[in-house]
Amino acid sequence: MLLHLNPASGVPIYLQIENQVKHYVAAGALGPGDALPSVRKVAADMRINPNTVARAYQNLERDGILRSVPGGGTYVAENPGGLLKSEKIRRLRPYARQIAVEGTQLRLEPQEIVNLVEQELESLEVADERVGNSHR
Amino acid sequence: MNELAIHTDKLVKTYSKLRAVDELSINVPRGGVYGFLGRNGAGKTSTMRMLLGLARPTAGSATVLGMSIGREQVAILERTAYVTEGKVLYGGMTARELVRFTRGFYPNWSDDAVARYARRFDVPMDRPFAQLSLGNRTKVCLLLALAQQADLLIFDEPTSGLDPVGVDEFQRVVAEDLAGDGRTVLISSHQLADVERIADWVGLIDNGRLLLEARLDDIKSQYRLITAAGTGLPQRKGGDILSANSDGNFRKYLVRANAEAFAAELGTQGATITEVSPLGLREIFLELVRKEEPCTSGNAGEIPAPAFSSI
Repeated sequence: MLLHLNPASGVPIYLQIENQVKHYVAAGALGPGDALPSVRKVAADMRINPNTVARAYQNLERDGILRSVPGGGTYVAENPGGLLKSEKIRRLRPYARQIAVEGTQLRLEPQEIVNLVEQELESLEVADERVGNSHR
Repeated sequence: MNELAIHTDKLVKTYSKLRAVDELSINVPRGGVYGFLGRNGAGKTSTMRMLLGLARPTAGSATVLGMSIGREQVAILERTAYVTEGKVLYGGMTARELVRFTRGFYPNWSDDAVARYARRFDVPMDRPFAQLSLGNRTKVCLLLALAQQADLLIFDEPTSGLDPVGVDEFQRVVAEDLAGDGRTVLISSHQLADVERIADWVGLIDNGRLLLEARLDDIKSQYRLITAAGTGLPQRKGGDILSANSDGNFRKYLVRANAEAFAAELGTQGATITEVSPLGLREIFLELVRKEEPCTSGNAGEIPAPAFSSI
């Protein structure tokens, strides 16, 4: 698993890991049942604190994206979309609000902001096809 | 078992008139990597020496691995490895001789670890210590500390003189062999980017006093630098406001929590909030330590801040 971490940024390292794993899963680079490297291996490879990696994995497990088998490693969950729709929307709303606020401050037209999000969705689909993912 | 590897309670160390350590209370959790930060002369080395029984506290108390400093010094030393700031060992001895000299003092000493780390750090084993470069001296000190298989490792500038490969190897050892194995590491370093990578807790001291002690992730999630423009804005620290700086018509506030609420409150006082941004460790260090200088100009006669009610 390829992670790009920037420890000096204001974003906590555990959040950087969470966001990248989420991105890999959303883009299909990681599919249901795929194994993730152990906390110890990620920490050693990235030269970061194992507690930080463990925290990211725990949060991803809580969010239903990963599942861990006691003593047997961590895997991408079979059904990472298992949350209620209302809960999914509740989690996404802050990001939608941020895009709306930033876009408006930059004086973009509402349609231009919507187009931007659509382009990002399309690029995810392209990435999904490129890895030949059949899980979704 | 005590969940803290190190706990100090109002530790004081004075050298004639200088209060090097001034009522310092820190808590280092077991199994963590604690970045112990501060400027030169802030009191870091004095604190470490007291923890190891190498200096006697003027006042206050501390426990190391649940044992009281001073009273249980030998037991503490058996389970604690220490790399000193000066990296000074017997100059005439080679690393191989230093290993033979040192191993008997430590019950958990591992010759396998000596071989492993000598290889990984590329330590010159057969040249007298005095003839080695600073980087190679540091490697010998690290080798002797790591071979002790200690429960607690106290590192004072552990990467001085190391080349980038050596620094990277050191970080890997801390991540994999120390933190990954549940050992506790207290690390003092000016290399903030390295600390930021490997530490899960940080303590920042200045003039012997603790300015900040927190989980690094919490600092990143909650600490914010707020930049506001306007006149008559509050310029007072206190509560969640750790520093307040003027820069022309702009004012910069470092807050440790509830940044959005404080920004909103500034807004009701007529300020224009230009930015609420997260900070890296280096920025926090500079904001906090620079602020503690005795004569900050421009603070006199300012309107005091209204009490900021935290939510």
